[in-house]
Amino acid sequence: MVAVLVSYPENCTGCRFCEMICSLYHEGAVNTKKARLRVQKPDIMNDIPLVCTQCITCGDRCCIDSCPEDAISVVDGVVTIDGGLCTACGNCKKACPYGVIWIDKTAHKCDLCGGDPMCVKFCPSGALRFEEADKDSYASLLTAWRDD
Amino acid sequence: MHAVGGKILYVDLTTGEMRTEETTPDLVKEYLGGDGLAVKLFTDNMDPSVQPLDASNVLVFAPGLFTGLPVPTGGKCLFLSRSPLTGTIAESVMGGNIGAEFKMAGYDALVITGRSEFPCVLRVWDDVIDIKGGSPYWGMVTRDAQEAIRRDLRVSSVACIGPAGEKLVRYATIDCEDRQCGRAGLGTVMGSKNLKAIAVRGTKDLTIADPEELIRLDLELQNTMENSGAFMDDTKYGTGEFLNWVNEERGVFPTRNWQESVFEDRKEIDPYYWAPRYTLRSKGCFGCTKACGKLFVVQEGKYSGTKLDGIEYETLYSLGGECSNPDIEALARANEVCDLLGIDTISAGVCIGFTMELVERGILSTDDLGMECRFGNPDAVVEMSEMIGRREGFGKLLGEGVMRAASEIGNDVERYAMHVKGMEPPAYDVRGIKGMGLGFMTSPRGACHLRSGVYALNLVGKFWRWDNVDRFAAEGKGEQVKAMEDFMTVYDSLGVCKFSRGFFLIEGYIPFIRAILDEEMSEEEILQVGERVNNLKQLFNYSVGVRREDFYLPRRLTEEPIKDGVAKGAIITEKEMHRMLDDYLDARGWDNDGKPGESKLRELRLA
Ligand code: SF4
Ligand code: SF4
Ligand code: SF4
Repeated sequence: MVAVLVSYPENCTGCRFCEMICSLYHEGAVNTKKARLRVQKPDIMNDIPLVCTQCITCGDRCCIDSCPEDAISVVDGVVTIDGGLCTACGNCKKACPYGVIWIDKTAHKCDLCGGDPMCVKFCPSGALRFEEADKDSYASLLTAWRDD
Repeated sequence: MHAVGGKILYVDLTTGEMRTEETTPDLVKEYLGGDGLAVKLFTDNMDPSVQPLDASNVLVFAPGLFTGLPVPTGGKCLFLSRSPLTGTIAESVMGGNIGAEFKMAGYDALVITGRSEFPCVLRVWDDVIDIKGGSPYWGMVTRDAQEAIRRDLRVSSVACIGPAGEKLVRYATIDCEDRQCGRAGLGTVMGSKNLKAIAVRGTKDLTIADPEELIRLDLELQNTMENSGAFMDDTKYGTGEFLNWVNEERGVFPTRNWQESVFEDRKEIDPYYWAPRYTLRSKGCFGCTKACGKLFVVQEGKYSGTKLDGIEYETLYSLGGECSNPDIEALARANEVCDLLGIDTISAGVCIGFTMELVERGILSTDDLGMECRFGNPDAVVEMSEMIGRREGFGKLLGEGVMRAASEIGNDVERYAMHVKGMEPPAYDVRGIKGMGLGFMTSPRGACHLRSGVYALNLVGKFWRWDNVDRFAAEGKGEQVKAMEDFMTVYDSLGVCKFSRGFFLIEGYIPFIRAILDEEMSEEEILQVGERVNNLKQLFNYSVGVRREDFYLPRRLTEEPIKDGVAKGAIITEKEMHRMLDDYLDARGWDNDGKPGESKLRELRLA
C-alpha cells in the first residue's frame, strides 16, 4: 500500500489553513476555492476536511472513469491529470464524491505535493495525515457529509 | 497590489446606491487594514452630529491586512461604527471566515450608510452586489439565519445579527460561525439599518510578493508557537486557562458585581475542570493554527443539548463570577442564549450582576423582576439573558446597558453601575492592576481590556519593553498604556490575534510584511500606524464631546478597596486616577482636555 491523505474530522479545528496553503503552494496565490481539498462546515458541530483518496474508495464514481479524454490515470500511486489532454469538460469534478477537483483552463486535483503534503505539514491538530490507508478510513467521511 | 482585495465598497441602504474606490498603496502604508483602514474610512465619511441609531451612521467592515492569507492566527476582521452603547467610535473584532471571503471577493473594506426600508441581506458575490429581501430571516437566531442564508443565497460566509440586534438591544453582537463582534453594540447598528446579514462569496486570488518566503516564515512561526507553553495551555483549556491564577495568585477576578475580587465557588467554571468533561474538540478562528476555542457540549441534565464555541474567559467572569454563578452547565446555556439571540456576554452579565446587587440591597424586589434574580442562582442568569436578548420584562431595561438602567432606576444606584463611557467592564479588577485601570479610562470604546492589553504585562510583571512592572503603582502607567494601545492597534490592523503577541512582537511581523507586500517597514513605522489610528479615534471622540471628565473609573473602584484575596486593600484613588491620566495625556501629546495637539497631528501626517 502507498501513503495517501487521510482525514480525521474529529480533530479538525476548522481553521482552513490547509486550504490556504494548498492554493498558495500550487497556484502561487491564496484562494480557498482553488484548494485541492476543502473543509466542509455543515453546522457548529462539524468541520470535515474532504481530501482526495487517490481512488482508494471512489469506485464507479471515480474521476478516472469519468474522463472522456482518458486524461486521468494513476502515476506512482497518485491519480494524475494530464493537462495536455484535459479539455476542462468538468466530468471529473462532477464525478468526484468529495468535490475536491476544481477547474479553470484545465482540471486540477491533489498531487500529494510531490510526496510532501503541505496541508499535512501545516495542519495543527492531526486532522490531516499522510499514511497508508484502506477504504474504511474514508467510509465515515462519505456518510458524514455527501455533496450530491 | 499584493495582499489586498483591491477595492473599497460603499453601499447606501437608503438609496441602494453602490460604488467602489481603489485601495491605494498609500492607504495601506498609512493604515495597513482592519482597524486602521476602518477608522480612516469612518472618520472620512462620518458627520459627528449623526447619532448612533440614525440612518446616516456609518458602519464599516474591514478584514485585516493579513486576513485571508496563511499567516498563523491572522484571520481577523472587524466592524466599526459610532456605538449606541457609548456614543463614541467603537470597533469589535472577530475571527469568522467572512473577512477572508470578503477579501477573496476583491474588497478591503465595506462602508455602509443609510437604512433599508425593509429587512434586507447585503449579498456580495465577487463583483455582483445586491440587496436581497431579509424578511424570511428576520427573527431567526444567529445560527439558523446563517445556515438558511448560506443555503438560499449560495454564499460561503454570512455575518448576521440575532433578534436582539433587530430589537435594538444596545449591546447586540454580529455573529459569523459562532464567532462574534461582541462589544459596543455594532449589531445594534446593523439592526437599526434593517440589515440582517452580510453574505459573501469570493473566488478571486490574493497574491503574495514572495510565496516561498511566506511559507518558510509560516513554518518558522508555527514551530515557535508549538514549542511554547502558552500554545499548549491555550489549545487545551482555551482563554480561561489562567482563571484560577487570576483568582488565587493575583486576586483580581471581579465577583458579585465587583464587590469581591476572588470567586470562591470557581471550581466548576475553571477550564481545568470543564475542558476534559465537556469539550469535544478545539475550534479555531479562520486561519488560526492555535485554536483556543472549544466545542462545548452538555449531554445530559436540565441544560442538555447546549452546544457552543466557548466558553471564553470573559464569559466565565460575566455570566459566572459576576453573578456568583458556580454552575458550568447553566453558564454554558446562558452563553449559548447570548450567542443565539445576539448579545454581548460581558455587558449582559454585568447588567445581570448589577440587578442582583440591587436585589441583595433591597432596592429592587424579586417581585419587580418576576424571577428570583439573586446572586448564586444559575437559572436566573439563563432566564435573564433570554429576557434581555428578547427585550422582554425587566430585560428590556437591562438591554439599555447598565448606565442607562441605573439612571432610569434612580435612587443613587449609579454607584453600583459598573461602566466606563457606558460600556460594562471586562474581567480584570483594575484596583489590583492600576495600569489596566488607566486602560479602561482611555479606551475609546469604554471599559475595555483589549485596546491596550496592559493587564497581561502588569500581572506577569514583564513584556516587550518592560521589566519588573509593579501592578500596584500608579507611576509610569501613562507611557505604558499609550505604547500598548498603539501596539495592540497594529494587531487589529494586520488582522492577527492578540493572543499571538506572546510569541511574536511587532518586529516579528516585519519579515511577513516584506514577504507579503514587498515593502520595507520599520518597527517604528508600524507602531506609528497604531499611533495615527488612536489619534484619529480621539479626534472623533473629541468632536462628539468626549472630554477629560469622560476618562474616569466607576465610583466603586475609587471608593471601595478590594475586600478579599491577595490584592486586599488595593484601590485607585481619585488622585492616582488624575495622575495616571495626566501622564497619559502627556505621552500622547494631547492637551488637558484630551484634544490631540497640532504638533502631534502634524508629526502623524494628520494635519
Ligand atoms: S488545517 Fe487541519 S485543523 Fe485546520 S481546517 Fe485543515 S484539516 Fe482542519
Ligand atoms: S479526485 Fe476525487 S474522484 Fe478523483 S481520485 Fe481523488 S477523490 Fe477520487
Ligand atoms: S497534498 Fe498537497 S495538493 Fe493535496 S490537498 Fe494537500 S496541499 Fe493540496
